[in-house]
Amino acid sequence: METLNFLAQGFDVALRPINLLMALFGAFTGTIVGMLPGLGPINGVALLLPLAFALGLPPETALILLAAVYLGCEYGGRISAILLNVPGDAAAIMTTMDGYPLAKQGKAGIALSLSAMSSFIGSTIATLGVVLFAPLLAKWAVAFGPAEYFVLMVFAITCLGGLVGDKPVKTLMAALMGLALATVGVDSTTGVYRFTFDSLGLSDGIQFVIVVIGLFSVSEILLMLEQTHSGQQAVKTSGRLLFNFREFCQVGWTAVRSALSGFVIGTLPGAGATIASAMAYINEKRIAGSSGRFGQGDLRGLAAPEAANNASACGSLIPMLTLGVPGSGTTAVMLGALTLYNITPGPLLFEQQPDIVWGLIASLFIGNVILLVMNIPLVGLFSRMLSVPNWVLVPAIIIVSMVGVYAVHSTAFDLVLMIALGVFGYLLRKMDFPLSALILGFVLGDLMEDNLRRALSISSGELGILWGSPITLALWTLVALMLVMPGIRWWRARGKARITDAAAL
Amino acid sequence: MYDRLFGSVWLLLCAGLALIAWGFQAPFSYDPVGPRAYPLLLLALIAAGSLWMLCKPSVLQHLLSGRQTLRALLCVGSMLIYAFLFEPLGFIPSTALATAGLGLLFGGRPLPCAISGVLMGGLLYALFDLLLDVPLPLGVFEFLVE
Repeated sequence: METLNFLAQGFDVALRPINLLMALFGAFTGTIVGMLPGLGPINGVALLLPLAFALGLPPETALILLAAVYLGCEYGGRISAILLNVPGDAAAIMTTMDGYPLAKQGKAGIALSLSAMSSFIGSTIATLGVVLFAPLLAKWAVAFGPAEYFVLMVFAITCLGGLVGDKPVKTLMAALMGLALATVGVDSTTGVYRFTFDSLGLSDGIQFVIVVIGLFSVSEILLMLEQTHSGQQAVKTSGRLLFNFREFCQVGWTAVRSALSGFVIGTLPGAGATIASAMAYINEKRIAGSSGRFGQGDLRGLAAPEAANNASACGSLIPMLTLGVPGSGTTAVMLGALTLYNITPGPLLFEQQPDIVWGLIASLFIGNVILLVMNIPLVGLFSRMLSVPNWVLVPAIIIVSMVGVYAVHSTAFDLVLMIALGVFGYLLRKMDFPLSALILGFVLGDLMEDNLRRALSISSGELGILWGSPITLALWTLVALMLVMPGIRWWRARGKARITDAAAL
Repeated sequence: MYDRLFGSVWLLLCAGLALIAWGFQAPFSYDPVGPRAYPLLLLALIAAGSLWMLCKPSVLQHLLSGRQTLRALLCVGSMLIYAFLFEPLGFIPSTALATAGLGLLFGGRPLPCAISGVLMGGLLYALFDLLLDVPLPLGVFEFLVE
């Protein structure tokens, strides 16, 4: 009952004209950014964040804008996946498997509208999940002290290494580099300057916006430089534009099941939309068994990953809002946005800033409806935008990035720093380091050090406080599990290889 | 190969940074950890990772050709020039130049690139500075506003 009251209050905030306008704008831009191959939700959120800040939007409006962009990207990624066979963002890879075959069979319109519907089901179920579980978790998390927080953040970081899989050492190293980058600047407890090299521009630390834009926009542009193909021919949308009732019934349960699994995966730190959509697809393929034509244009193979990736995007807001520990690169950027406004996310946010939290949650419902309504009739317009040539698109991205960075401090030093970080990020990507781990580390950096030092202040230097309570012990066990996980997986893969080797002999 | 190179560079970097970090000392302090321990801990962990990369290098799939490297350098170069001209020249001319130059690099033809440069400089200035209230440098057009 209390939750319903808060939700009503949230709708009150989300339905204010400026917030509705921002949700509409964010949904539109998000769809475009998500659709353009190479640009994903992180890029969209990173590009709009400095603008939102420079425009002086109030925090709840800025957050609503960013969340609408995030959702919009998950909707947009499927358009290029279906029409071009190129995933618009990483989470849409699984959508190409059945989406593109459907488009080639002349069913592009059906595929697009049905996947929009699946996305809608996915996000709506997950948003309901946020309404149900986030306040509970927040209530429970109030009991967390600095030591618990420190261990929780260690867990979030090791989760990345344990779940993302194939290169755990590089993932953990990237997160550590992010943590180290966050130590640059004046130390908040003692006032000592660290790693500033006597530069005035660095004395305040490296601005979050500069890191995000440098790492994601600039390095992305350098990657786009490598693609030689440009202006691909999209499959024409012809024939029936809307799915019919029979087709909807066929995928209904698939979408609901995938939404539930996507939501659960999304709430785990580290496992984002990419893993959720892949797991949903594999699951549905197994459930369908021999009746499915997966890979050749099965509607269920289209609905499953779309529902799952949207659900996980909403689910990943839970740890960010309730614990203040983001679970994905994009929510890490949103957390950074909140700290720009001097708001510390965490369990107390639900009590102290209900307008922000519940306004955001309500705007997810509204954004979803906007996206569904916008996506079905406007799909022709969006698909035409896919043919914008790179020589217009790339300079535009660079200029918007530059303006965004310049808007923070109005110094050219920041622009150069952004480019330097971009080159650094490009090199790391070339070396297979995941940048989302780095940004997660960077966002958590200050929080982690503060909590560690606060915990040790409480115990006056006694390290035992870090594993003194049952919560910390449980979390350390999970950390250990995450650390040995890649080892176990490697060992099992080796065992399997040996069996197949033996069979071959 | 590249993994080994990268690992050794990071190892050296960590050693250098650790030397710097060793000097962080608070004149007086009431917290038991101090500003030095945490950066040193991180550097030690990164160094351990670099050692792992030295011992067990992985195979990289996407390597650059000479031509691609040149293009990447050109792109970084033009962005740097843009950054340095941003304030002295002002937003409109520097953006027009950067748009045209980068457009050429990304395979546009000269005339359309020049047109898009001029349009982008003017329109984006109007959008950001006049409409959205994000202050941008005027540079050489400073004399127009007295």
